[in-house]
Amino acid sequence: MALAAINLSEVSISFEGNTVLHNVSLNVTEGESVAIIGPSGQGKSILLKLMAGLVPPTKGKVLVRGENLFEISGARRQKLINKIGMLFQKNALFDSLTCGENIAFPLREVTELSEKEIQKISEEFLAAVGIGHAKNLYPDEISGGMQKRLGIARALALHPELIFYDDPTAGLDPITSRKIIDLILHLKSKNTSTLIAVTNDMNRAYQLADRIWMVVDQQVIDAGTVEQTKQHKDPRIRQFISGEINGPLTSMAGGE
Amino acid sequence: MFEHFVSFTEMTTHAIFSAFRPPVRIKESFQQLYFVANQSLIIIVFCVCFAAMVTILESSFHMRLVVQNDSMVPGFAAMLILRELGAVVTALLLTSRVGAGIAAEVGLMQTTEQIDALKMLGIDPVQYLVLPRLFACIFGGMILTIVADLVCIYSAMLVSDMYLGFSPAMFISGMRRFVHFKDLIFSVIKGASFGVVIPLVSCHFGFRCKSGAEGVGLATTNSVVTSSIVIIIIDFVLSYLFTHF
Repeated sequence: MALAAINLSEVSISFEGNTVLHNVSLNVTEGESVAIIGPSGQGKSILLKLMAGLVPPTKGKVLVRGENLFEISGARRQKLINKIGMLFQKNALFDSLTCGENIAFPLREVTELSEKEIQKISEEFLAAVGIGHAKNLYPDEISGGMQKRLGIARALALHPELIFYDDPTAGLDPITSRKIIDLILHLKSKNTSTLIAVTNDMNRAYQLADRIWMVVDQQVIDAGTVEQTKQHKDPRIRQFISGEINGPLTSMAGGE
Repeated sequence: MFEHFVSFTEMTTHAIFSAFRPPVRIKESFQQLYFVANQSLIIIVFCVCFAAMVTILESSFHMRLVVQNDSMVPGFAAMLILRELGAVVTALLLTSRVGAGIAAEVGLMQTTEQIDALKMLGIDPVQYLVLPRLFACIFGGMILTIVADLVCIYSAMLVSDMYLGFSPAMFISGMRRFVHFKDLIFSVIKGASFGVVIPLVSCHFGFRCKSGAEGVGLATTNSVVTSSIVIIIIDFVLSYLFTHF
């Protein structure tokens, strides 16, 4: 049986009395690619942050490779954190650092590498995502697509075995978003990592995922593989895929 | 209000404990000290100059009005400058210059998920962001307070020479009758205490910043207002304590 990279057991999370997720239990196996879809405001990013250990659950347990990130500390926690990479929705690039320094920063903080090695690695990563020429530019001096690429390069700089992507193609044109997904898949196959991505673009979800989850009504529906998702009977999944205006998701959002 | 107090206390306690565990961020701390001292120096020198000139002119005016004699003005003004003016004016200017900057910077980092990105690297945001700024504001506050005291006294001496008829020798002689070395120490203690308040309050509001331009603006305003109020309260407490020495 394959190892569980992530295990959520009866997890609930609330903010100021509002329940976002209720009693969610899920597993992600090592090496798997999962796409998380769902209407806006349903808690996709919160689910991702729960799994990454950025937000503690109100109830239940989140285990990353069998360990609860909120119950371990010191070197043990750092070792586990080093295996996790994340691309944030707004990229979260350090705006006071240049593109090259953004990649060098995690290497300086976490590894014992020499400055020469760090420079070499950051140049390699910038080249791998196709922005080698932007090494000395600041994040606000490059385009949105380049910022995404830089965010991916930084997330991968420590060779994580578990990578979270929060809406990696948000706000990008179709060609650039296709390139970004190709890049993510290329780097995944190269690093044989586990991948979990939030996206609202079904084409990108199909391209990216082994399995698709949908976050809706405080629950996470495991819609199965791409083919199973396309054939799924749940009317909420069907409406989300088809993009129909009328349906259960519209009434849930307070529409007509 | 109570919620703010609890989270502020948590952050402060966390900062104190994290000061005793590695890594010690010496480079970042000196970068922040440079930012605090260098970028605030000119505005502080300029403002305290005028504050001191107003103080000595007003002191002379009131003494002449009440006791028809302003011979004690140099000593009186110098003591007021050292025990109160230099430290407080410096702290209030630092609050608006540095505190607002810290709140906006940390607030923007919070809303753009940069703080989450630090956590994903296993970096403690309090240790990384608060401690270097705390170090910089404590030492920067002390240094700038001493500079402000010296500038204040010099400008008060110039004004008293030009408009009140006290030569520099008379001013210094009057000052030596009233002012003691402990007054300078009190001033530096005040500077350091205010230096503790500014980064802690500013980082607290930055960490709690809500998203959007309005959120960052509100965090900045709240940090400046709260820091100013806390500085004035601490000033009262310290002044009260120092009157016993």
